[in-house]
Amino acid sequence: MNTLEAIQSILIEEFKLSPDRLRAEAMLADLGIDSLDLVDLIFKIEDRFGLKITDEVPRSLATLGDVAAYIDELLENQSTGGGTKAGTDRSS
Amino acid sequence: MTTRVAVTGLGVVAPLGNSIDELFASLQAGKSGVRVLPAPCNGPQGSSIGATVETPTCPRIPETRLRMLDRVSYLALVAAIQAVEDSGIDFNQENRERCGVSVGTGMGGAETTDEGYHILYAERSDRIKPFTVIAAMTNAAAAWIGLEYALAGPNLTYSTACSSSAVSVGEAAEKIRTGRADVMIAGGAEAPLTPGVLRAWNAMRTLASADKVDPSTSCRPFSLTRSGLVLGEGAAFLVLESWEHAIQRGGKIHAALSGYGLTTDVAHITRPTVIGQASAMRAALKAAGCSPTAIDYINAHGTATLQNDAVETSAIKEVFGPRAYQIPVSSTKSMHGHLLGAAGALELVICVGCLERGWIPPTMHLDQPDPACDLDYVAGAARGDIPLRIALSNSFAFGGTNAVLAVEKV
Repeated sequence: MNTLEAIQSILIEEFKLSPDRLRAEAMLADLGIDSLDLVDLIFKIEDRFGLKITDEVPRSLATLGDVAAYIDELLENQSTGGGTKAGTDRSS
Repeated sequence: MTTRVAVTGLGVVAPLGNSIDELFASLQAGKSGVRVLPAPCNGPQGSSIGATVETPTCPRIPETRLRMLDRVSYLALVAAIQAVEDSGIDFNQENRERCGVSVGTGMGGAETTDEGYHILYAERSDRIKPFTVIAAMTNAAAAWIGLEYALAGPNLTYSTACSSSAVSVGEAAEKIRTGRADVMIAGGAEAPLTPGVLRAWNAMRTLASADKVDPSTSCRPFSLTRSGLVLGEGAAFLVLESWEHAIQRGGKIHAALSGYGLTTDVAHITRPTVIGQASAMRAALKAAGCSPTAIDYINAHGTATLQNDAVETSAIKEVFGPRAYQIPVSSTKSMHGHLLGAAGALELVICVGCLERGWIPPTMHLDQPDPACDLDYVAGAARGDIPLRIALSNSFAFGGTNAVLAVEKV
């Protein structure tokens, strides 16, 4: 499961959003995901990926694809930074 | 300006049923909604009992919203939607600034608060859910009901412990009576069956001990063997309208909300007083413009605590004199438990339904009368074929807020 698919599954299972709306280019605002939802989504992503996101989530995230790219970047940084557990759950 | 207040809609989500018909079928049969609670509400101190609601479905509430709702708000929304549907009111045809919401709740979003503390102190995590404040805030239920129908008039929440929703209904009626609103969705909700809330009440030594043979009989108002109250969850709502407004739109009128008495005990934070309870009943009679001889039924506060039931009995005698012995008085809490902030609204809904149906629900599990409680408590079985015109609903609270509502048959 790639990052976008994992985010999609969280949105379907936990946010009860309809799968056909969850394209990469779907705007968060159009999906009804506001700033609080985004914090909640990030928590769930942290659980799913074994990540710990300490930085403020950038306000520039507008689409699902943006969120996936942001998470991928964090995973990349954490694995190259070494010593974290980031990414170990990705295949699960 | 004063106007008469009509009750035009009723809705319940209660331990005895998730509709008015179910509720009254259970009351008539003397059913109990009290049961042993599942884990994690049970701990090493023994089994916890409570009166639970079977969580209803409600297609009108989108699934995407559920994450933002504490159980208390969900139950409130479902009951309020039921009441609005029963009233047949179409808010698209209304001036929404003249329509409002009034909710009573003692503990608000207790489940969310409990869960937040669990994350913080038990899991030792700092990841409190981002919706915690929105879900836990005491006025969340009122806000969601107001949003549901885009009602731009008053949106109020009253928290006076066990009389919260009697106050919320009474104050909503005042808004209508004084011309400040045409329509109010008024009621109460409570969802206190969480480990934290149960432990806190248990620590006060006010909860009934579970009957070892049949836990469903553990709540025994006015009985010599009563051992305390049983917490219950649920919500009850009424649609209140000015009489003219209800007539004009052709709404059916269940009853008139004719009296509201509100007084305060000033003696002790928890111990009730005869004088405070009696003065609230007198105030409701005065507001209803009726004499004590006109009352046909009293739905008692009747919590089944040692203190309340004896004091309430004395207060009824104080107000009604020798006639107190002729008035049927019942505590339906023996069946649906104590819904705290939702109790007053639920019991008022029961009074309205009794006026319409012509029978009185029983006080169950009253096998051994307490000599200090010697009124006619309609023990053991519902009583039918009684001409009922006016009923009183008593609600008395920790903190001392006594609220009594009078409803009259139309």
